[in-house]
Amino acid sequence: MNKDRGAAHNGLTDWYWQRLSAVMLLVLIPLPFALLCAVYMGVLDQFELLEIFSHFVPLLLHTLLVFAIIVHAYFGLKLIIEDYVPAALMRVPLTGVILLIMGTIGIWWLALIWAWGG
Amino acid sequence: MSNIIKLEIYRYDPEKDAEPSMQAFEVPVTKAGMKLLDVLNYIKWHIDGTLTYRKSCGEGVCGSDGLNINGVNGLACITPIAGLKQPIKVRPLPSMNVIRDLVVDMEHFFDQYRSIKPWLQADSPLPEHERLQSPEERAELDGSYECIMCGCCTTSCPSWWWNGDRFLGPATLLQADRWLKDSRDEKIGERLDQLEDAFKLYRCHQIMNCMDCCPKELNPTKAIDHIKRTLLIRKS
Ligand code: SF4
Ligand code: SF4
Ligand code: FES
Repeated sequence: MNKDRGAAHNGLTDWYWQRLSAVMLLVLIPLPFALLCAVYMGVLDQFELLEIFSHFVPLLLHTLLVFAIIVHAYFGLKLIIEDYVPAALMRVPLTGVILLIMGTIGIWWLALIWAWGG
Repeated sequence: MSNIIKLEIYRYDPEKDAEPSMQAFEVPVTKAGMKLLDVLNYIKWHIDGTLTYRKSCGEGVCGSDGLNINGVNGLACITPIAGLKQPIKVRPLPSMNVIRDLVVDMEHFFDQYRSIKPWLQADSPLPEHERLQSPEERAELDGSYECIMCGCCTTSCPSWWWNGDRFLGPATLLQADRWLKDSRDEKIGERLDQLEDAFKLYRCHQIMNCMDCCPKELNPTKAIDHIKRTLLIRKS
């Protein structure tokens, strides 16, 4: 007996954003590490580090990094929930909670760095 | 290699046994280059006629004797005994309902296969003889037409273990991709419509178990990625 309910036409957007954010992370993640290494090796001190983050381009890169981290984490967690929580009654609210948490962290982080810049 | 082959084989008769067990067997080496299927046949014909398993062609063509051999899925008929650690542990394909011993229920697996309409669909009038392909167009199907639907890949896929009721699994998706690539097929749009689904397609997380165990050395992961990319191209 064929009980196929057809396709829900979803999943592509999640997959696309997860891939895009992964590429962004790949490019952006080395930058803070390079800065941390510079501090560790004494090339930069803490004040010079903060000074760097008061300029527009580093702020923009930081913003993109935050965006990539939040988007990647959200879609990663959503995927895990879809994998392991079969009951839609649990899955859908749980995904909503994750979205809320990730959104809050993202906004808080961005507010912090842009306030610094201003 | 010694003259005796040691095995432990999964035994289960749901009508009689409370739970499955592993039964030890010792089989003499009867010829050079023995395959696992030769050993199972020896047991069936000379030691224990109740041992139940599927087989047909005996040469890796029909896809009926997919088994879990020392933890890895493969075809008994083309798996040489020589390379296997003994005692060889033989179990049915993982995550499947066992009908008896090594025979599993493939109904759902083939239902999923049927769901992708694995046949040529074209509305344009049939040419006088047949719908032709250039050698290049035909070559596009290399790497997917060879699939014998043994189910080794699908039953080794963790995503299918968790969500097999909805995720189509590597074997069916490899075939779905085969029809997307077929130059003669005219239902690409409908086929893509049927595949664009978070559970049917996007449960694949590229764990690549499917590719590792395929006895035909096919690459369902690549095919699944190709479907995802085709959907992306359609959207963008
Ligand atoms: S892709 Fe390979 S393992 Fe999967 S069903 Fe086809 S032949 Fe078997
Ligand atoms: S690559 Fe995809 S289909 Fe293959 S085993 Fe992994 S999750 Fe399953
Ligand atoms: S018996 Fe046909 S593939 Fe093994």
